[in-house]
Amino acid sequence: MAEVLVVVLIIVKVAVVVAVLLFLPIPLTWIERKIAGHIQQRLGPMRVGWHGLLQPLADGLKLFTKEDHIPDEADRFLFTLAPIITLVATFSVFVALPIGEPVTIWGTEITLHLTDMNVALLYVLAIAGIDVFGVIIGGWASNSKYAVLGSLRTCAQLISYEIPMGFAVVGVVMLAQSMSLVTIVEAQADLWNVVYQPIGFLVFFIAGMAEAQRIPFDLPEAEGDLGAGYHTEYSGMRFSLFIMSEYLIMVFLSALTVILFFGGWNPLFIPLPPMVWFLLKTSFFIWLFMWFRFTFPRYRYDQLMSIGWKVLLPLSLANILISGVFLS
Amino acid sequence: MTQALRQTSQWIGWVFFRDLIDGLSLTLGYMFSKTITEQYPDREKWVPFERHRGHHFLTTDENGDLNCVACELCAKICPCDCIEVVPYEDDKGNRRPLVFDIDMARCLFCGLCEDACPADAIKLGQHYEFSSLNTEDLIVGRDALIAAPGKAVHGGKVIEASLTTTQGIQVQEKDNGRTYDWWRRIRRR
Repeated sequence: MAEVLVVVLIIVKVAVVVAVLLFLPIPLTWIERKIAGHIQQRLGPMRVGWHGLLQPLADGLKLFTKEDHIPDEADRFLFTLAPIITLVATFSVFVALPIGEPVTIWGTEITLHLTDMNVALLYVLAIAGIDVFGVIIGGWASNSKYAVLGSLRTCAQLISYEIPMGFAVVGVVMLAQSMSLVTIVEAQADLWNVVYQPIGFLVFFIAGMAEAQRIPFDLPEAEGDLGAGYHTEYSGMRFSLFIMSEYLIMVFLSALTVILFFGGWNPLFIPLPPMVWFLLKTSFFIWLFMWFRFTFPRYRYDQLMSIGWKVLLPLSLANILISGVFLS
Repeated sequence: MTQALRQTSQWIGWVFFRDLIDGLSLTLGYMFSKTITEQYPDREKWVPFERHRGHHFLTTDENGDLNCVACELCAKICPCDCIEVVPYEDDKGNRRPLVFDIDMARCLFCGLCEDACPADAIKLGQHYEFSSLNTEDLIVGRDALIAAPGKAVHGGKVIEASLTTTQGIQVQEKDNGRTYDWWRRIRRR
C-alpha cells in the first residue's frame, strides 16, 4: 500500500508540474506586455477580457490555426525535433527544483519537489545547457541565413556564459557543502547567500540573463538585425513551443536565483507559508527580468563576448578564491 | 586635478552601474505613472477644441429659419469645388437654398467657406466621425447639415464613450460628465 501511494504521489506531482508549466506562459505573456506598455506609458492589451487578461488565450488560438510551415530546403527531421528538445529540456529542469518545505496533507508528508538529487545543481545547469541545443539545431535546420546567424550567436553566448555561471555557483556550493538544492536552501536559514556572495549573485544574474536570452543579451533573436533569429522560419505551434520554453527558462532562472542566493523559501521578517515566500521572491525576479528588458538596449556581439570573458569570468574566479580564503 | 577627480568619480559610478541604475529608475517611474493612452473607441473619445474644423453645419435663427441667403459665395471660394447651392424663394419671400450639397469626399476642411459667408450660416463643427465605405454617402444634403452638431462649447478634453456596432460602427458619448484633460497626463521632465 505504501509503495502504491509513493508511485501515485509521484504521478500526481508530475501531472501538476506539467499542467502548471503549460499554463504559466499564459499569464507571463500578459504580464510582460502589461509591463512593456506601462513603461512606455501605454496600457498594453485591453480589449480581450478584463484588462486584456484573455489576450494570451486569443494569441494561442491564433497560433493554433496558423499554417505549420516547414521551409522547402529545411532538414525536416531536425526542424521538427528542435522545439521538442528545447521544451523537453526546459520541463526536465523543473524536476529538480524544490519550491517549499514539505507539507502534510491527510497525514501524508508531501515534499514540494519531484526529486531531491544530491547533484541537483549540476543536473539543473547541465539540462539548461541542453535547452540551448534545441535553439542551435532549430536555427541550423531551417536553412535560413538569419536563423543560422542566430544559432551561431547562441553558440558563442552559450560558451561565454555557461562558464562564469558555473563558477559563480561554486561559492554557494562551498558555503552549503552540498549540491542539493534543498540543502542549499536549508543552509541559508540564518543569513541569505547574497550577503556572503554579492559578486557571485551579480555574475550569476547577468549570466542568467544571457542564458535566458533576454534583453540586454537577446542576440540569438535580435529582431532588429536578424528578423527573429533562430526561430525566423518557425510558425504556428512550433514557434509557440520556443516561446513557451523561453518564458519557462526565465521562471527557472528566477527560481534558481532565489534558491541559490535569496534563501529559497526562508521568510524575511513576515511569517508567511514557505511556498508563498518562494513564489513571491520568484515573481519579483521575473518582474526584474521584464523590467530590464524594457529598459536596456541590446549589447553588441563583441561587447557581449568581452563582458563574458573579460569581466564575468575573472570576477567569478576571484569570487571562488575569496570565498575559499574566508572559509578555510 | 579636477579632471582626474571627475574621471575617478566617473569610474566609481561605472563600477557601481550608475548609468544602468539611472535608466532603471527612469523606467520604474514611468511604470507607475499614469498612462496617456486614450481608449478610443472603447471607453473614451476626444472632444475637439472650438477651433477644430470638422463636419460642416448650417446655422438657424431663433425661428428655425436658415441663416443662409444662398449667395453661393462659399461655393465660389471653395478651392476644391465641393459645395453646390441652388437658391429658391421661400414663402416669406426670402432667398434661401433649395439644395445645399457638400461633397465631404472632396472637401479639404480649409474653412474658407466659413470665412466667406456673409450671414455666418455655414460653419465647420466638432463632428469628425463620418467615414464611409461609399463615396455617395459622403455627399451631405441641406437637412443633414442643419442637423449636424455644432462647434464644441467646452472642447479640448477626453470624455467617456462606448462603442456600439449594432448599426454600423458608432462611438456614443456618455452623459455622465466625466472628463479629463489629456495634455495634463503627459510627463514633462
